[in-house]
Amino acid sequence: MIRTQMKLSMRIGLGGALLFAAAGSMFTPRVASAQWSRTYEQFYLPGKFNFTFRREYAAADRLFNAFDYGHAILYERLLNNPGAPASQLETDEYDFITKKLLVSPPKLPLEEAAIEINYAKLAPEAKQMFDWAHLLHRQIYDVLASEQMSQTDKDAKIAELIAYYKTRPDLAFSSLPKNMDLMESQPYSLAFRQRYPKFNGLIWGYHWLQVGLYEPLMVGRTQEQRQAGVLAAVSRFKQMLENAPEHMPRVMPMTAAIAPMFAARYQEASIIFDNLHSMHDVVSDILTNNAVVSRSQKRTAILEAASRYRDNTSFLMPLDEWKSMGTMMGVENMGGPAVGFLAGFPAPTIARGASMAEAMKGMTGMQHGATGAAGMAGMQHGAPGMADSAKAGAAHQMPGMAGMPAMPGMTHGAMATTSDSMSAMHMSSMMQMHERMMRDPVIRERVMADTAMRRMMQGMMDPTMPGMQHDMPGMQHDMAPAAARPASTRARATTTRKAATVKAPPRASMAKKATVKKAPARKAAPAKKAPAKPAPAKPVPMDHSKMPGMNMPGMKP
Amino acid sequence: MQFFQRFSAVLAPLSNPRCILALVMLASVATIGGTARLEAQTDYYNTDRGRPIQIEDAYVAERYGLELKLAPLRLERERGGVYNWGIEPEIAYGILPRTQIEIGLPLAYREVGTERQSGIAGLEFSVMHNLNAETEGWPALGIRADVLAPVGNLAPNRAYPSITGIATRTYTWGRVHVNAKYTAGSSLSAASTSSAGAEELSRWLIGGAVDRTFPLRSTLITAELYGRKPLITGEDVEYNTGAGVRHQFTPTLALDAGLGRRLNGDAPGWYVTFGSSFAFGVSSLFPTGR
Repeated sequence: MIRTQMKLSMRIGLGGALLFAAAGSMFTPRVASAQWSRTYEQFYLPGKFNFTFRREYAAADRLFNAFDYGHAILYERLLNNPGAPASQLETDEYDFITKKLLVSPPKLPLEEAAIEINYAKLAPEAKQMFDWAHLLHRQIYDVLASEQMSQTDKDAKIAELIAYYKTRPDLAFSSLPKNMDLMESQPYSLAFRQRYPKFNGLIWGYHWLQVGLYEPLMVGRTQEQRQAGVLAAVSRFKQMLENAPEHMPRVMPMTAAIAPMFAARYQEASIIFDNLHSMHDVVSDILTNNAVVSRSQKRTAILEAASRYRDNTSFLMPLDEWKSMGTMMGVENMGGPAVGFLAGFPAPTIARGASMAEAMKGMTGMQHGATGAAGMAGMQHGAPGMADSAKAGAAHQMPGMAGMPAMPGMTHGAMATTSDSMSAMHMSSMMQMHERMMRDPVIRERVMADTAMRRMMQGMMDPTMPGMQHDMPGMQHDMAPAAARPASTRARATTTRKAATVKAPPRASMAKKATVKKAPARKAAPAKKAPAKPAPAKPVPMDHSKMPGMNMPGMKP
Repeated sequence: MQFFQRFSAVLAPLSNPRCILALVMLASVATIGGTARLEAQTDYYNTDRGRPIQIEDAYVAERYGLELKLAPLRLERERGGVYNWGIEPEIAYGILPRTQIEIGLPLAYREVGTERQSGIAGLEFSVMHNLNAETEGWPALGIRADVLAPVGNLAPNRAYPSITGIATRTYTWGRVHVNAKYTAGSSLSAASTSSAGAEELSRWLIGGAVDRTFPLRSTLITAELYGRKPLITGEDVEYNTGAGVRHQFTPTLALDAGLGRRLNGDAPGWYVTFGSSFAFGVSSLFPTGR
């Protein structure tokens, strides 16, 4: 009896010791202070529509459960095994997902925290953001799949869902479109797509289907049509997996391109989903790019990106540009439309691994001025510091030009202004920028050598305009008509102009050079013909790198 | 106290064992049959006290979510073939961020010698607050305050408040939970303990649990070891071990089952548990967001 009691006491003692050891090991004081997180889960909006999609479109719904796994295991592998060969994801996980999981997807939504264990601890706030947006995703499927609700009811319910989504500003993605720089022009950007092209294609395939499924639910006029449309979209997604990554999207699928009817009707939701998918890519890049973001910096980088995706001020893109961006980048580069398929896949026009900026080379509507450059590849719309002006830029095809808020009538390249509606404050800001530019001898020479630009500058210097009394040293002398100046001065100016023209490389080539530096593995995109120059004169390309706030990736040193 | 007495009177019919049995059956039927109508989501991953083991995790019900536990059944067999069983229907509500309130009504049936007793073993109120989400530096921490009120014929004769500290840490191989609980209030003499509710009270309880999740199967297995000092004077520290499984049956329904054993004392025995729960929302409790 005593022996038995002793044995029991020993077991219990051992259990107790283990318990204390477990309790002690729970804390990691080194990183504890910086990682106190109070994020929390919130229940989804109740309603009879919930789980309709699961009931009516079970095959598609189950695929989403498998998608949960794909996202989660990706982050976990990237975080846990930074030095692992690419084949771990590109072959092992990819094969498991495509040959087993997607063939027989889980019946229930997965608990991602049980898959991305370390990632969930690294950035629980970002995880919650994804979960919260995925909830909105699923509830909108439910609403659109409902056969009981009228279109008016659906509109109202989706508006309510979005309003509810926004009640968590700590989790909600902005419903204003974020520009491509947030995703593609950060120091860590593009790492994931370059190192893991196949898995990246799979993730974009997920995103294609996630936004694409809205379209057949919108386009179908009867339940049968909707069912057929959803099945067709699911089949097309599965086709994408064949001969991977050949038919997978080559740039991030954008809702306005993949599901235009949905995007037109539910603009805010579409933007939220684009931002969500964009941030998925950003997190992948941060976790992949260990050269730029060390292990200890990853949480900070993810939280910073998350904050930018939530705010309504930074990295904004004009709404019109967002609407047309997908089309201009080419829906064929995003996996094609989600309804009305042709037998084959649309032929992509860009190489795998290309950035969205490259995809937009030569896109119409994005020609900022008649500079002769082939598009504005790499132009940053709303780079840091440009936030406040982005909205203003939206109205004037000049998104994101810092320090140039509300510049009515201004067109990039021409720099023409209509002063009537300018406030003195805005004009003052603009003049400050001009002053700064004109202090640069090269720019100044160029402007002075160009009669059209000189005329414009003279117009701006009109002393009758309010707020125009700025100190622009030397300007008055240089503003004198060229003919009135000595011939020697004219000759000097002309020589300088030529020299400047030779010295300054064309913008397109600079952009290309920088892009190649950033993405060495990327194939060059087919050059598109530049549009005809409207001005008869040959203006010297403006050196945007000298303009404050006009930071262009292609012009980085 | 008067309030509790009135409440006891209202609930007096529940003292009938047949009534308890009917409640158990009703709860079970409602659990299985009601899922189609309840738009809800239950998370098998967030473990609760007693479902299926005593040690729980540090997380609470989602904000605005209601979690109904309709048939948490526990059957004990003591040495000598003495059976005790009970159910404790509970409802929890995520009233604030990381905070839930919960009300439980433990119903018990027990054999004391040749006598059989059944009825309400108290009314339990609790507030639980999750202090933080787990990060690399911190485990998830939670704190729970409970009061077992003297409601029902098997309840203790006074209210007993208790406080519990909870920590949860996730590793790649599984999760570890540690719970430590302390109950205030005077001790009970062995002679005066005719209440099932009092027998369940512990002056202190400390224990740990380990669980492992199979996410693709929406299933979790868990095991625990804990010690507790009963509130009854003269009782030795009890050591208990248990194991169980939780499974997400549908998006709206989670089921759990467990078994355990008391390791020491005069009457070591086995127990089994079965439970189910779902979460749902009531629209009027949600912010409109507009």
